[in-house]
Amino acid sequence: MPKYDIVVVGAGNAGMSAALQCQLAGRKTLLIEKHNLPGGAATSFVRGRFEIEPSLHELCDFGPESNPGDSRRILEGYGVHLKWLECKDCFRVISKYSDGSPMDVTMPAGIDNFIEKMEEYVPGSREKMTKLFDLFQEVLDGIAYITASKGNPDSKVLQTEYPDMLRCGAYSTQKVFDALKLPKKCQDILATYWSYLGVDMEHLAFIHYAAMVHKYVQRSAYIPMHTSHEYSTAMIERFRELGGEVWFNCRAEKFLFNGDKLCGVRTNLGDIECDYALANINPDIIYGRMMPKELIPEREKKLVAARGRILGGRMYTAYFCCDASPEELGITDYSYFLPSTADSVVEYQRIAGGMKTNDYSIFLCYNIVNPEFSPPGTCVCSFTTFGAPEEWGELRQEDYFRFKTEGAKKMLRSLKEKTGIDLVGHIEEMEVASPWTFARYLGVPEGSVYGYEARDWDGMMARMQSIGDDYPIKGLRPIGAAGPRSDGYSATIVCGQLIAANALRDLKNWEGGAK
Amino acid sequence: MPDLKVKVGLIGKFDMLKFKNMKKVREKAIQAAPAREVDGVFPINENAKALHPDFLELVIDRIVDRGGAQAKTFVLKRPDGKPLPYFRAGQYISLKIPMDGSLVSRSYSLCDSPKAALAGEYAITVRANPGGFVADRLLAEKKVGDRLIASCPQGFFYYEDLRDAKKVVGLAGGSGITPFLSMARAIADGIEDFELTLLFGSRSEDNILFRGELDEIARACPKFKVVHVLSEEEKVGFESGFITAELIKKYAPEGDFSVFLCGPEAMYKFLKPEIEKLGLPERRFRRKLIDVTKTPWDCEGYPQEARGKSFQILVKQGPQEWTIPASADEPVLVAVERAGIKAPSRCRAGECGWCRSRLLSGTVFIPQENEMRRWADVHYGYIHPCCSFPTSDLVLEIPGEFF
Repeated sequence: MPKYDIVVVGAGNAGMSAALQCQLAGRKTLLIEKHNLPGGAATSFVRGRFEIEPSLHELCDFGPESNPGDSRRILEGYGVHLKWLECKDCFRVISKYSDGSPMDVTMPAGIDNFIEKMEEYVPGSREKMTKLFDLFQEVLDGIAYITASKGNPDSKVLQTEYPDMLRCGAYSTQKVFDALKLPKKCQDILATYWSYLGVDMEHLAFIHYAAMVHKYVQRSAYIPMHTSHEYSTAMIERFRELGGEVWFNCRAEKFLFNGDKLCGVRTNLGDIECDYALANINPDIIYGRMMPKELIPEREKKLVAARGRILGGRMYTAYFCCDASPEELGITDYSYFLPSTADSVVEYQRIAGGMKTNDYSIFLCYNIVNPEFSPPGTCVCSFTTFGAPEEWGELRQEDYFRFKTEGAKKMLRSLKEKTGIDLVGHIEEMEVASPWTFARYLGVPEGSVYGYEARDWDGMMARMQSIGDDYPIKGLRPIGAAGPRSDGYSATIVCGQLIAANALRDLKNWEGGAK
Repeated sequence: MPDLKVKVGLIGKFDMLKFKNMKKVREKAIQAAPAREVDGVFPINENAKALHPDFLELVIDRIVDRGGAQAKTFVLKRPDGKPLPYFRAGQYISLKIPMDGSLVSRSYSLCDSPKAALAGEYAITVRANPGGFVADRLLAEKKVGDRLIASCPQGFFYYEDLRDAKKVVGLAGGSGITPFLSMARAIADGIEDFELTLLFGSRSEDNILFRGELDEIARACPKFKVVHVLSEEEKVGFESGFITAELIKKYAPEGDFSVFLCGPEAMYKFLKPEIEKLGLPERRFRRKLIDVTKTPWDCEGYPQEARGKSFQILVKQGPQEWTIPASADEPVLVAVERAGIKAPSRCRAGECGWCRSRLLSGTVFIPQENEMRRWADVHYGYIHPCCSFPTSDLVLEIPGEFF
């Protein structure tokens, strides 16, 4: 039986990051992936003369070489280098303010630019916005401090250095906005990002929101030149270069235990012996299907039950490759957020109501950031929205293809109504990925690429503080979007590194104990 | 520090405690929940798995001989007869066929209406193919009750109303008729809604595959027309010669239309310049290749010095390794299969990427019409062995299989 120090199961963002971290630490690491492609959501597919990006809108917290953010620092630390392109604007949002008046706002990246632009849209907002961004910065610094303290921060330091973070930390974003008396129009514009975390502003912890928005605004976001498959392949290439092994189309069926300690992984390519496994798999699936029931502690069963079926966004996306340039189609911006209203609570409910009430989508055109994304005179666009669980859970196979195309048609109509952009008549290739697609391809519950919804009691900071308590299985730790840092490319890259560091520490401690 | 802490009205000393209590609040929520067994079962995932299983175990339920057309239709069912994954008319399944101790894959378009899947049946049609190693063995040897492993339905050769013109001209040659038969049946069943005019090339009248079925659907369904084009006969009521731009124009509907093409590589090569003459935008032309060239040395860019040579391939798959012989004249996948290695593959024409493998060393030749790799795969040295011809010794890392 082949033997490794660490087996990383699943080459998604977190898995690739964890594998690199383990291999760099000198551990003999095997990365297994159930598909013949790396990346999980960070992949691509080819239709006709187009290669399509399925998931990455923008990698946040990246920044230019001269001013790198965490994502760039981590990837460069791993020795992964590729050409990245800057997304200069944060977003354009076309919707209605919560007072019902029309909203068409384009926000640039860069904190000063962002605040100045907000002043144009909402005169008199500069002072409040500046304070808000100061608060964001303090939150970010505070999180960095807590992370560096490995979950044991000194209360005195917190109180003297990060008092505002502590004051806001337990509240929802909406509460903090109201407390700051932020003008309602500012709030509406700032709410645009809620869907990246899939939790409305009333239930989204301020601290989580603050960290994300600051990361998007402070340093511009980036995309790889040739889809996220280029990034995934570069990660794998680097991992191999460091001596790591990768097996594709190798699926973990069960985790094997010796007593209460993990000792291996059973796969379609045979059993693999190892001291540790890092699983880029949702814990519901690990506990439900992949390990002996008697080894799951009571508290873990309660954790699963407490979360119930409250999962984050169930992805529903449509991709269109057009035989016209963005100019010909009238597309001027990279990302258009198209909610029916800026009120995230209303919007969340409409999405939950399914296709009949959902009029939310994010529309992207990759050629705006990368004019060479597709052949000259063409462009590639995508829509992203969320599916309602009942609707997709109760759908019959024979209705599936038509149903998923109907949703794509609705998003196309909505784009035309809201922006005047009409892709119909130019579609050369298209594909629709539903929650079924994401459930099948990523193996995530109900197609939720966001893991568990990070709302109320189960927010990011609360999870971060519970790292020492959650998942106490010896030699097995889950990583990924269901983890402490929640969803998103940058969050899962960080998560992979963070949890791998914990695993490496465990291994060291065990070896120390054995001596 | 900004003076913000004073301005944030609701936030005071008490809130510091709240922050510290987040972990406790979370723990309380967890402890309040029941310690139920975790099942890890989700309806959406179950649906997705039913539609796209890893593989299907099928049994040949009946065989229909197509007489003069030198073909047989195999009707396949699950051993328990339960419904099969639904599909879009035009999609194919990939069969794993046991041959002399190895498993060889071939893709076959489903030729029934998609509703047959709900009744638990897939029908495929295999046509005799001079020199075709697998087809002839299938026709000669497979009998009712034999079991086969199949993929779930695959492929992008189907009608999509958002993308395609409401009127479609289908061009079929040889066994390329099968996806169009499925489309015609789906139109007749009301599952698909478009107008299909099919130009079907056969050698002679008695050689037309599915003639009765096609003519019958055309009589009953005004949205479907079929024109038989005979290459070796001139007869009243038939077109003769090959399908050309002129012939397409003669039968093409007024206004906007799409052209769908399915046939062997030789037919595609012949028709490509003819279709270009029509001056259609690219979005109005869709094709399905059913094979890879058998004469790679005739392709542009082929390194002639490799022709006819023999090479060795070191194949790695997970913990295993094999050294196998290979011929420059056959795709890498053929050598891998012949060696009895369980290797993933589906379309066998470069399109689906199922066989994507890492070329660790050596060189291969890939015909232009099968080059459908991702940018990074080209850049980092991944190939699709189904349509890559070895031009040196190779070291190849292939993915695993699931059955």
